[in-house]
Amino acid sequence: MNFLQRQLEDPVRLGRLRRWFYVGLAVVALAEIVLPFIFHGGHPHFSFESLPAWGSLYGLISCAAIIVVSKLIGKVWLMRREDYYDS
Amino acid sequence: MILEWVHPGLLLILGAWVLPLLKGRVKRVGMLVLPAAALVICWLSTPGTYGVVVFLGQELVFGRVDSLSLVFSYVFSLMAFLGMVYALHVEDDSQHVAALTYAGGALGVTFAGDLLTLYVFWELLAISSALLVLRGGERSAVAAGFRYLLVHVFGGLLLLAGIVLHWSQTGSLAFGDMGAFAGGPAWTLILVAFLLNAAVPPLGAWLPDAYPEATVTGAIFMTALTTKSAVYVLIRGFAGTEILVWLGAIMAVYGVVYAVLENDARRLLAYHIISQVGYMVCGVGIGTALATNGATAHAFAHILYKALLFMGAGAVLQMTGRRRLSEMGGLYKTMPVTLGLYMIGAFAISAVPLFSGFVSKSMVVSAAGEEHRAVIFLMLTLASAGTFLHTGLKLPYYMFFGKDSGLRAKEPPRNMLVAMSLAAAACILIGVFPRLLYQHLPDPVHYVPYTLQHVTSTLGLLAFTALGFFLLLKHLDPERTVSLDTDWFYRRGLAPLVNLVARRLARLEYGFVGELYEFVIRRPVLGAAKLFRKFDSLVIDAAAVSVGRSTRTLSQRLKTVVSGHTQHYGLIMAAGLLALLALAMLAL
Repeated sequence: MNFLQRQLEDPVRLGRLRRWFYVGLAVVALAEIVLPFIFHGGHPHFSFESLPAWGSLYGLISCAAIIVVSKLIGKVWLMRREDYYDS
Repeated sequence: MILEWVHPGLLLILGAWVLPLLKGRVKRVGMLVLPAAALVICWLSTPGTYGVVVFLGQELVFGRVDSLSLVFSYVFSLMAFLGMVYALHVEDDSQHVAALTYAGGALGVTFAGDLLTLYVFWELLAISSALLVLRGGERSAVAAGFRYLLVHVFGGLLLLAGIVLHWSQTGSLAFGDMGAFAGGPAWTLILVAFLLNAAVPPLGAWLPDAYPEATVTGAIFMTALTTKSAVYVLIRGFAGTEILVWLGAIMAVYGVVYAVLENDARRLLAYHIISQVGYMVCGVGIGTALATNGATAHAFAHILYKALLFMGAGAVLQMTGRRRLSEMGGLYKTMPVTLGLYMIGAFAISAVPLFSGFVSKSMVVSAAGEEHRAVIFLMLTLASAGTFLHTGLKLPYYMFFGKDSGLRAKEPPRNMLVAMSLAAAACILIGVFPRLLYQHLPDPVHYVPYTLQHVTSTLGLLAFTALGFFLLLKHLDPERTVSLDTDWFYRRGLAPLVNLVARRLARLEYGFVGELYEFVIRRPVLGAAKLFRKFDSLVIDAAAVSVGRSTRTLSQRLKTVVSGHTQHYGLIMAAGLLALLALAMLAL
């Protein structure tokens, strides 16, 4: 039984892992909002980059948009049965 | 004679033919020494022009060594070395010869100073890589290999047409910045041929069609060489071409969209090659020093992490025999080392800080920012999220975690793990010490990747992409489908044409060619035969018949004389004697 098995197959540890993931998300988003006020490193190229937690926001939107739009295009148009080219 | 420069590409191409003569350990040493020697030669090369040959009154330059060709040659030969380590256990000489020839071809393209030399190595790339697909073994691999070859032969013809046209217009074969000829037919043909090899849609469907069908080890070479040598020639000839900015950005998103739909592990990764090459093409199009540096750096980093990702997926394919994500799952239990090494590649392609993609991809994105191209910037950033979503989350989730498929595959052979470890080490090294890469880029680099703003916004982007992934996970389950791409046009779209050929052309053949045959061949031949028959029956037969007849008549006559009775003969003799006597008496 390796390290990953110990972490993932025990519901208690898996729950702990999930909580740490949410904490990580909060820390990252907060860091993005707060740190620019403390340090003034790097300058954004566009005004939208100055929105609070821009990276986190755009990441979530991008991820959702990619999944939804791609699946939509796929279902309506692109996806075919596996033997499509054989028949 | 002291050679001033040995062409590392020719070394690989010629050296490859020695391998089949060797056996066992010596062969394995040879497999490693060849690319290692090529790497050392590239490393020791100093800028200059070498290997100039006058051919048909034209100067062919085999060795244009400058900062741009050098950095590409480093990564091509380094990758060839890693690929050979990965393939060390394979007992198939044809694959090794093809792979080394392929790498040699890429080095040949890199060092080619004129279009004709470029063209020769360009075709060598196509042929040698097609062999790696054809050796894939399955029926589908053979079909895909021939499609791959046909597409690249078509691309090669476009290139040749462009070169000939360019030559006839300018009288020169030199290959440099083509900007002065922008918009002309020669310029267009050459550009389209380059874009075909760079897998730019709609000309790029050959890539996800062929790469997943290639052999496990051959695919590693394919991910690195064809598209990136195309990126190199684009940087060399077409930097600052506006249309490339848009094509590149569309490519980056296009690969991501298809990756959502894909079920075949290596095909998903192949679509992400298209996506990643999109960043490079876009960088070439922007054309500023930062952008072309970025395209070069990204090509360098990309070759290493993409090889690592394909090595990971290839290891799983080899150990389980399965290629569909929907049939995998639970492999983390028995292949944790493969998983760990794959994840390093996944973090590198996703541009996680401290991994190589972070310091290379961001150069192109920042170049888009500096040029105030907001739409391009947003498209490239969106594709970044998509890259992490698929390569960093979806693929490892369904391959190694997810629903347990019951597969208990072992770790791959040691040489495969060593190759993956070396590639992983390179990904981390470049990420932690970007100067190692930046110092070799063609233009001086002032770019600083590790700024607070860049690090925090990247982490935010990645972390919340992961959140989106887990929230929408049930919509991402891989389905057993194939996705339509532009290869539809030559796989299904041409079916009416085939029908046309089978019906109309067949009728034309029977109706017209058949009639023509009747008039030109059949009738004269039959006529001549008839004539000969007449001659035969009239002259020859008649002669034979009449000879026979006259013989018969004669013998009939004789028959009456020759009766066989002695008294008849005595009678005839007496009659004869009497006749003689009468004659004698009358005469006297």
